[in-house]
Amino acid sequence: MAIAASADKQPLIVMRGVCKRFGMVMANDAVDLDVFPGEVLALLGENGAGKSTLMRLLYGLYPPDTGRIEIDGRQVIFGSPRDAMAVGIGMVFQQFSLLPNLSVLENLLAASPRAPWWQGRRRPVMNDILVWLNRLAPKLDARRRVSDLAVGERQVVELAKVLNLDPRLVILDEPTSVLTPDETARLHGFVRHLAAEGKAVIFITHKIADVTSCADRVAVMRRGRLVEQGAATAKSSDDIVSAMVGRTVTSRATPVRLRSQVPRLQIIGLSTAAGHSNSPIRGLTLSVGGGEIVGVAGVVGNGQTALAEAIAGLMPLAAGEVTLDGVSLACLDSGLPPAISTIAYIPERPIDNAVVADLDVAANLELRRLRQRPFLGGSTGMDLAARLIAKYDVRPNNPRLAASSLSGGNLQKLVIARELSGAPDLLVACYPTMGLDLIAADSVRQRMFDHAARGCAVLWMSEDLDDLLQYAHRIAVLFDGRLVAVVPREQASRDRIGRLMAGIERQDHAA
Amino acid sequence: MRRDLVDPIRFAPILVMAIVFLLVAMAFFVSIGKPPVRTLLDMVLFAAGDAYSLSETLVKTAPILLCALATIVPARLGLVSVGAEGQLFVGAIFGTAVVLAFPNTPAAILLPSMLLAGMIGGALWGFIPGILRGRLDANETIVTLLLNYVGVLLVNALVFGPWKDPRNLGWPATVSFPLAATLSGFFGTRAHLGLVFGILAAIGFGVLFAISRWGRELAVLKGNAKVGQMIGLSFGRQAMLVMSLGGALGGLAGICEVAAIQGRLQPGISVGYGLTGFLVAWLSGHNPVVAIVVSVLIGGLIAAGDSLQLYAKVPAASAIILQGLLFATALAVGGLAQRWKAARG
Amino acid sequence: MLGSWIAAALRSATPLLVVMVGETLTQRTGVINLGIEGEMLMGACCGFAAAVITGNPLLGLLAGAAAGAALSTVHAGLVLGARANQISCGLAVWMIGLGLTSYFGRTYVGGQVSPILPIGAYLPNAPAFVRGALDQITATAPFAIVLAIAAGVWLYRTRTGLNWRTVGESAEVARALGIRPTWVRFQSIVLGGLLAGLGGAILSVDYTQTWAQDITKGKGLVAVGLVIVARWNPYLAIPVALLFGLSETSVLKLQAGGMAISPSLLATLPYLFAIGVVVFAQAQGRRNAAMPADLTAIFRTR
Repeated sequence: MAIAASADKQPLIVMRGVCKRFGMVMANDAVDLDVFPGEVLALLGENGAGKSTLMRLLYGLYPPDTGRIEIDGRQVIFGSPRDAMAVGIGMVFQQFSLLPNLSVLENLLAASPRAPWWQGRRRPVMNDILVWLNRLAPKLDARRRVSDLAVGERQVVELAKVLNLDPRLVILDEPTSVLTPDETARLHGFVRHLAAEGKAVIFITHKIADVTSCADRVAVMRRGRLVEQGAATAKSSDDIVSAMVGRTVTSRATPVRLRSQVPRLQIIGLSTAAGHSNSPIRGLTLSVGGGEIVGVAGVVGNGQTALAEAIAGLMPLAAGEVTLDGVSLACLDSGLPPAISTIAYIPERPIDNAVVADLDVAANLELRRLRQRPFLGGSTGMDLAARLIAKYDVRPNNPRLAASSLSGGNLQKLVIARELSGAPDLLVACYPTMGLDLIAADSVRQRMFDHAARGCAVLWMSEDLDDLLQYAHRIAVLFDGRLVAVVPREQASRDRIGRLMAGIERQDHAA
Repeated sequence: MRRDLVDPIRFAPILVMAIVFLLVAMAFFVSIGKPPVRTLLDMVLFAAGDAYSLSETLVKTAPILLCALATIVPARLGLVSVGAEGQLFVGAIFGTAVVLAFPNTPAAILLPSMLLAGMIGGALWGFIPGILRGRLDANETIVTLLLNYVGVLLVNALVFGPWKDPRNLGWPATVSFPLAATLSGFFGTRAHLGLVFGILAAIGFGVLFAISRWGRELAVLKGNAKVGQMIGLSFGRQAMLVMSLGGALGGLAGICEVAAIQGRLQPGISVGYGLTGFLVAWLSGHNPVVAIVVSVLIGGLIAAGDSLQLYAKVPAASAIILQGLLFATALAVGGLAQRWKAARG
Repeated sequence: MLGSWIAAALRSATPLLVVMVGETLTQRTGVINLGIEGEMLMGACCGFAAAVITGNPLLGLLAGAAAGAALSTVHAGLVLGARANQISCGLAVWMIGLGLTSYFGRTYVGGQVSPILPIGAYLPNAPAFVRGALDQITATAPFAIVLAIAAGVWLYRTRTGLNWRTVGESAEVARALGIRPTWVRFQSIVLGGLLAGLGGAILSVDYTQTWAQDITKGKGLVAVGLVIVARWNPYLAIPVALLFGLSETSVLKLQAGGMAISPSLLATLPYLFAIGVVVFAQAQGRRNAAMPADLTAIFRTR
């Protein structure tokens, strides 16, 4: 990785003493940052460290409370992203800012200030808008609706949208969290290419791999402060992780040894109907034994949600069967799950799928026990809530607080507290550590493994291949709604799983 | 959830709302050429100045409260029902049918049967949008709004047609209800049992929503139907239930109006009680117990409007204008208060 | 005979179509306006009054449009300024419109307007088979159709149309792109009110040539539902409005035909038809695929 001598280059952007507070939280605390053209800066930090906030300040979404931002040596004050775009700053968001009901072309047109007033079928002007898109993804038909695109394709459109504005700085907010290893490698290459063309790139991430692959410089944030800054080659992975967390960290979760192979969860020929918003599952056969951890790898959008919901009894089966210890888990005709209380289900995106935002924390914690008595009240609910909040470190520790006021990570902990505090026979966990800082994630993993050690069957969907490679007994790979392989841990490698995830390799598997 | 009983956001702006509304009302009176302060004072007098005025206020309160509950109960599940007017009319139809079919039954049997029939009719008129929403996810607001017009037309069809009293030349109405089917008023006034039903229902639902498991289930489904499904609750089933319950209350309002006030089924049994009920429901923060108080206030406003029309030549339409202005004022003040509160951080 | 039916249906559909185009554009920016029922009433009442006073029906139409636009500013203020619940705001505006028109319109009940001449009057040499039809419709009918087409072209083929659609999909994204969602929504609400008022004026001045309290009887509300049936597409508003007009015309013909069925009962049919198509449209599997994304929060569907 060639590093240009930063000393003789003028910084494109200088941020000094930037502070931003949201309510009680100091999201950015006196941050000083330099950004140089022609190089890739990796902005690292755990979830909640303040990286996104800092970049949103730079992009003009809100003003800093104090501090200075200078571009080309002149101080700027942005009233809105429009001002930032006018100066040449572009940002690709983690939650894409595309409009799903409109076509790719319409999205690009909407975002392009050079678009003409009359948007009939005149070719030449439209081609201008499509230049970057054609470079990034030549086979993508711009007339397709964005809602029909896969996640990786949407990111390409988002990127093209930003590049159409010919920015001098491109900010990428956690772009690799939804990509296959292949797509990630492609993105890394493209980012290097952008830097070579003289653009400045800021790459927000919490993964070390992104740093080693394409960054020239590294900046690490922790709890709102910028704690480290320097050339990428000068830092080891351990250094960086320590800077992110504040101390040396070794993962304390101990992998579980597999003892018996008695299958408890049996899925045979499972298919779900297309037409729901999730991609369907087709003909899936898999079994999970008591005490076994089966990881499910596969980029979001290949059927993970459908699989999880079908097992949890929330999605009707079009074909096949799902049983736990011989009892069917299939969704009933009424659309409701069978009244089995021994399944723990942690869905993805807890704020949307697992929590009632309007109710308070205590009510959410006792949701599973709701149907037991005709009248509410009594102190048992609050006691239980207080215990769970303390045990799972949900912050702030006020059971009467509305769930909507909790951060994403704490909501995740709330859901996990509710689901894992019992003695389930089956645990279906979808991305349970997403959004959690390293220590909380570690503790969640440990709890899952404790349940496995008890004999619970665990089906674990994760976006983090390293987790699966380290802890799962077998790794199942989903692609396009089908189970393309089930690989025992000893035979699994990042390469191999990555190729399976991308649909490049297929394997005859034994369930 | 104790939080549900009293929503603190409402308290501070209530005073502002009242003041602004009084100013707006006075401006309206000026625009129609009436002395503003004098007219306002007259309204207060006509609403509560003496025993007769109060009883007239209570006469209006009964259907308004029941119609408000017809909106509040579905709102607990997050459904927006504006169908109380139609439920009122259809409830009146069903109740009248019983009376017309068995006019000579003694009161002990006829009266409860009539009221029950009214509730069943209203429940049916609520069930239709309920099942459409529950099974087909069709928007209940539009369906209930359109069903209102159908309900009114059905009454017209019956009283101009098969149910028309032949002795009533030209005036479309059924025969007068027999004494056994009349809800008499209290203490010689026109205030009737419907008010008691309304208050009991309001308190009952208030308690249920606050401390029963069913109330919590509704709250869960309203907040996140998917999570409700996860713990075994059915949004569709509850939608049908709450819409039918709300409809039953609307139907009860209808048959009470016919049996106690009109004495027969005829086209003009409601002066927009359905829409007024929606307004009351909204002003009460969808809280059944608070709705009792608000219904009395609005009942007073409408009763005063009636009297003003008779004595001060204020046009009949001013009641609905004032309600609309009140609604708009409340929305404006409430909304601005929330914005101000959010901006303060 | 068929031509006569279609012409009658077109005549009946014209006011509704104008209102639907307005509400379509409003909903496309993510705002639902139930108050168009009140704005349509204002248009019908003020338009009729203006036509009676000035003797000029076209001035009546203009006055009606202005009245509708004026009332819609209340809705805009409540929804955009106070950020209040849109359904409630619409109902409040409806109540105000209903009350105001009932009061101020009572002197005009039974009034007479000079009618707008039907197209047939300008084309005395038209062939016989279209004569019947042309004698029934006035210039408002083709105007409404042209309006719908123009709205569609504007919405789908121009920059500002795309901006409006962007606002309806996500005000947040629109803001990031430099569009001002609040200003766009204000424009769409007032434009919707203007067209609702115009539709109401066409109803009273041209179609029925009368004024009576609550003359619209829920047509504005029907329009809100039919906008959904037409998938927020101005082009589709034409056949949808025509179908509804056909249902109304059928009822009128049946009523006039001396059938033994109560006219009130027959009058429920257009409402039942509207409910039917709204439910059918919403029950379709991919119904939400076309709904402007910012509207889904208001409709609170699952």
